[in-house]
Amino acid sequence: MAEPAVDNKLIDQMRGMVDRTIQRSIKGVQFVSSGKAPVGLTPKDVIYERGTLRLYHYHPRSEEIYRIPIILVMATTNRGYVFDLLPGQSLVEYLLDHGFDVFMIDWDAPMSSERGLSLADYTQDFIPTSITKVQEITGEEEVNMVSYCMGGVLSLIYAATHLNGPLKNLVCMTTPVNWHEMGLFSLWSDERYLDVDKLVDTLGIVPAEFIEQSFEMLRPAQKTAGRLRVWSEMWNDDFVRSYRAFERWGSETLPLAGEYYRETTRELMWGNKLYEGELVVDGIIANLANIKIPVMNAIAEHDHIAPYKATKPLLEKIGSEDTHEVVLKGGHVSLIAGPNAVRRLWPQIDVWLSERSV
Amino acid sequence: MAKDNTKDPAAVFQDWVTQWERAADQFSNQFMGTDEFSKSMNQMQNLQLEFQKGFGELMAKQLANFNLPSREDVLQLSEDVRDINRRLGRIETSIRKLAPIDGVGDQQRRKTPPRTKKPASLQSGSQNKE
Repeated sequence: MAEPAVDNKLIDQMRGMVDRTIQRSIKGVQFVSSGKAPVGLTPKDVIYERGTLRLYHYHPRSEEIYRIPIILVMATTNRGYVFDLLPGQSLVEYLLDHGFDVFMIDWDAPMSSERGLSLADYTQDFIPTSITKVQEITGEEEVNMVSYCMGGVLSLIYAATHLNGPLKNLVCMTTPVNWHEMGLFSLWSDERYLDVDKLVDTLGIVPAEFIEQSFEMLRPAQKTAGRLRVWSEMWNDDFVRSYRAFERWGSETLPLAGEYYRETTRELMWGNKLYEGELVVDGIIANLANIKIPVMNAIAEHDHIAPYKATKPLLEKIGSEDTHEVVLKGGHVSLIAGPNAVRRLWPQIDVWLSERSV
Repeated sequence: MAKDNTKDPAAVFQDWVTQWERAADQFSNQFMGTDEFSKSMNQMQNLQLEFQKGFGELMAKQLANFNLPSREDVLQLSEDVRDINRRLGRIETSIRKLAPIDGVGDQQRRKTPPRTKKPASLQSGSQNKE
């Protein structure tokens, strides 16, 4: 004869299962019929836009702010609202609440007339122009940059080619430096097989679907697994909200300007010239060893997009004396925007930058 | 009396999904992480590009014969509209700064907090030497 305690536990469990099943059905209908997940909700002004470039200034949320503003630099393959995904899960909100003046360089899909944009345009035009706008608004000469993935690469190239520039401190997150350690990406873009000229000359703008498919091929089961999980957790509003926001971000991949794609493939993926100190941008050598400003490098141990071996070497290559490395468990996206980012990475960015922003 | 080993079925399902995902990704990566796969994939891509280029040229000729806009024409039109929308947005922003509409603030009217904040380490008198 079963004891009452075991029976009660079993009954409670079954009651919970039935309740969740009902919730799952009701919320499942809502899930399927709802529109795009609301993201990027922190109030901001678009202070400059030109072609693919967007520069935002976020409304301050504290009564006193640090002297030196922060410019978040987004990767060119995705939307910047990953930095401002949801209330409570927003790096922008976090930095604003901790007294930083926050700007963001974001990207829109390049138009066909922008197919000729190159690394030089991004690092010698878009970033400097954005910095100038930030200087005009803040009245401050110096800026800090917090850059993600390819945004970090662009920031490093900018820093290496503007040695006496206004960039005071740089935070790089999941930024690939050794492009010969890009795992499957390196293999799939092998120069023996990838005819990058045919690709770029035929398409002009490399389509978003092509970029998105490349990412998906790294983890082919991720989408299906995600859907199975959300179906199981459909009764959990917080889980579903976070899932929808991430799914929207993952599906809104951006196309890339053809010349930029060609140059990234030839100079970085094939030639590894940034790592070797041989990259020339607009006639200037972008040698990482010439970077002397304080740099923080945040690395995701299980990054499948910019693997550990690709992101780790940054601090060895630069000439800075003031450096800080953060290695955290997590992947390419969870490092910067997942629930653990709130607890682990963002406080470290806050402490490191706050001491260098007065 | 049997021990109560029942586990939350939802947690069991989540564990199964995680393990399945890991195994499926590992299997796929083994297959896709080979030189042969890279070669085949890029060969297929090149064929697709050749076809796309050829088909695109043929379609463009046909559309021109029928005096219809090509894909390039439609794309250009779409981009022109997008450009006009952006310019309108900029004009609207400029007008708003000159003559603000009630309830709609602009950046210059918003008060910027003083840039006087100090980190806790400096406020307490301690210093970090680099």
